[in-house]
Amino acid sequence: MGTRWFITILSTVIFTFCYPGIHEEAQGDERDELRKEIEQLRHQVEIMQRRLMELEEKNRLLEEKARKQEMEEEPGRVTSEVVSQRKEGFFQRFIGAFNPDISVIGTFAAAYFSEDEPLGRAEADPENTGVNLQEIEVAFQGSVDPYFRFDSFFSIGRDGIETEEAYATTLLSLPLNLQVRAGIMRSKFGRINLQHRELQDFVTLPLPAVSFLGEHLNPVGVEFNFLIPLPWFLELSASVNNPEVEVATFDRDENANNIGRLLYVFHLSNFFELSDALSFLLGGSFATGSNGTEPGNRSNLYGVDLFAKYRPLRGNPYQELWLQSEFMYRQAEVPRGNLDDWGAYAHLVYRFAKRWNAGFRFDFVDTGDPIKLEKENELEMEDISGFISRQHEHGEGESILGLFGREKRYAFMLTFNPTEFSRIRLQYEISDPVFEKLSHAVFLQFQYSIGPHGAHPF
Amino acid sequence: MGIYGFVRVLAFFTLLSIPVLDVVAKVRIVSSIPNLASIAEEIGGRRVEVKSLAKGYQDPHFVDPKPSFVLELNRADLLLYNGLDLEVAWLPVLITGARNSKILPGALGHLDCSTLISNILEVPTTRIDRSMGDIHPFGNPHYTLDPRNGIPIAEGIAERLRQIDPNNASFYEERLRGFQERLAAKIKEWEERLAPYRGTEIVTYHKSWVYFSNWAGFKEVGYVEPKPGIPPSPSYVAELIGKIREKKVKLVIAEPYYPHKTPAVVAEKAGASFLVLPSSVGAHEGIDTYFDLFEVIVDEVVSILGREGKDN
Repeated sequence: MGTRWFITILSTVIFTFCYPGIHEEAQGDERDELRKEIEQLRHQVEIMQRRLMELEEKNRLLEEKARKQEMEEEPGRVTSEVVSQRKEGFFQRFIGAFNPDISVIGTFAAAYFSEDEPLGRAEADPENTGVNLQEIEVAFQGSVDPYFRFDSFFSIGRDGIETEEAYATTLLSLPLNLQVRAGIMRSKFGRINLQHRELQDFVTLPLPAVSFLGEHLNPVGVEFNFLIPLPWFLELSASVNNPEVEVATFDRDENANNIGRLLYVFHLSNFFELSDALSFLLGGSFATGSNGTEPGNRSNLYGVDLFAKYRPLRGNPYQELWLQSEFMYRQAEVPRGNLDDWGAYAHLVYRFAKRWNAGFRFDFVDTGDPIKLEKENELEMEDISGFISRQHEHGEGESILGLFGREKRYAFMLTFNPTEFSRIRLQYEISDPVFEKLSHAVFLQFQYSIGPHGAHPF
Repeated sequence: MGIYGFVRVLAFFTLLSIPVLDVVAKVRIVSSIPNLASIAEEIGGRRVEVKSLAKGYQDPHFVDPKPSFVLELNRADLLLYNGLDLEVAWLPVLITGARNSKILPGALGHLDCSTLISNILEVPTTRIDRSMGDIHPFGNPHYTLDPRNGIPIAEGIAERLRQIDPNNASFYEERLRGFQERLAAKIKEWEERLAPYRGTEIVTYHKSWVYFSNWAGFKEVGYVEPKPGIPPSPSYVAELIGKIREKKVKLVIAEPYYPHKTPAVVAEKAGASFLVLPSSVGAHEGIDTYFDLFEVIVDEVVSILGREGKDN
């Protein structure tokens, strides 16, 4: 290589200093001669360059041949040597660098609502008739060192950028089969709270999740996950978190810096395999923490989740059927009493061909006894804002804490996945609240993802 | 109790403890796919306990990362996997969940078997993207379908076993030699049986037989999938039928887990034979080892091509 560079530099120097244009005062004849000489020089340089390249190529071929022979002589030689012998393409060189995996997933939805003012929904649900941006998720993931990996997800929505998750996971063997995650995480509360939008089976978030967990419960915290040594998979998770979250259920207690006022989330997950084809994931969750309405006020959230999957491994491998269901119950201490709200959802999805699936979902929320507050209240609105019912605008001069009343919803979905990296989903939804008239919505969702192949959790 | 009694008791307990120790000392191997598991069994014999996560009758690209697999990996001493992104959609999440330092990348118990293979086929040398289908950026991952690759794989596995369980190094060494000799002899036999059909032009469903074709001397002239992972459209099928007729392709091959309707129709309309060939140990009853797998493949191919030869 060095020789070629030298020649290139040499020729550049010759051109710069000897080019006639620089020596305007030189005589015409001299100029012509010089030009000729330069032409000759250039010609020679070109020949030399060509010759060099030929030699290099020859050398390369010889080396390759020698390498091949070596390998034929010792066919069993392994690992690192062989790896280095592989031809590397651009892509591999790019991947081989210490870059994290970067992926971008865009989710959009065209929507039609029968009502002018549809009921409030989750942040990334389609909001208005027309085309909506649901979310653009950007993820950076990779191993930090032999001890940790780091996963970060940023969601770009209508209102700016949010850090959806950014956490480290321990990779090494720890006592009691412990795995620690630390950072901003979607809490292990039930199942849907762990599912990013692109892994969800429906366009909209189910009602209990919207009402109690918001778009997602993702506090800053530390989570301890123990694998209990039993014949089946049993994982116990416990996390301690900062209660400052954008969720209707929890908030920081302004007047307390107390370990008892933090947000604690527990989850127990069982996995049973009845056969190759049929398996169940059954879990229970509990979250408790301050809710910020008044000093000392707490919220408790209980959850049960079930995921059952039937996928025969023989025969048509792309047929599968799964059921996902969760029940949530919330108790919250608020000014003038206690709130009792609950809700559940269940959806059944049938994948009938490699690229197609269809499903039905039923979800509902209900409340025991909503608490009415006069707006010109002795309480600061800020403190209770998280608890004001998302349907609160029903009456002038008063606010409702907690849920407004029973609300049922039915959704039908048909999905076409051209590949694993794109998706088109049609959904029809009927919403039936006791406090409003029946309303309808139709969605057509588009999703695209670029970047490395993400591994899906079960 | 005299000295005899003592010795007797000691001997009794020693005898009792032998099988117990034997069980305890077994190296636990978890393999992502059955073909590697089978080779590991050949090398490790009774000193190892081998488990394959994917079943032989399952498409190894699409395996559910069941939490029960996390338990398997948590207890594993050695993880064998195919690599070249074959298991990229399900294995990484399991390794992360396993909380087992022994099987992390770079550790002794982490063996990407593709690193043992010297001639990886179809490594892209230009920029690729997904408009070309679900291309494996590091090359075609189905290398276990060339039986000659069984030899370096076995060697690599034996090497790791020797390091993980040095007390039994000679045991693994011996079994490795035995396996290599048997496989080499078998390869010769299979090659002789396939020899008359070298140059046969074939069409396969997915690009998963390139290593096999390379070994058997078959020429792949088309694929039922227009691009890797993309199901065929009717117009593509029509085009493919034309191509098969024109090139007088005799054989259309698909694995048991791919849809059979389209390739069967294609073969029938174009006057070729459609053959469902196993690509994994455990694909169906009677394929219990790496040897069985090729025995079945070679039998099927030779019998159908032999019949065709007579018909013509």
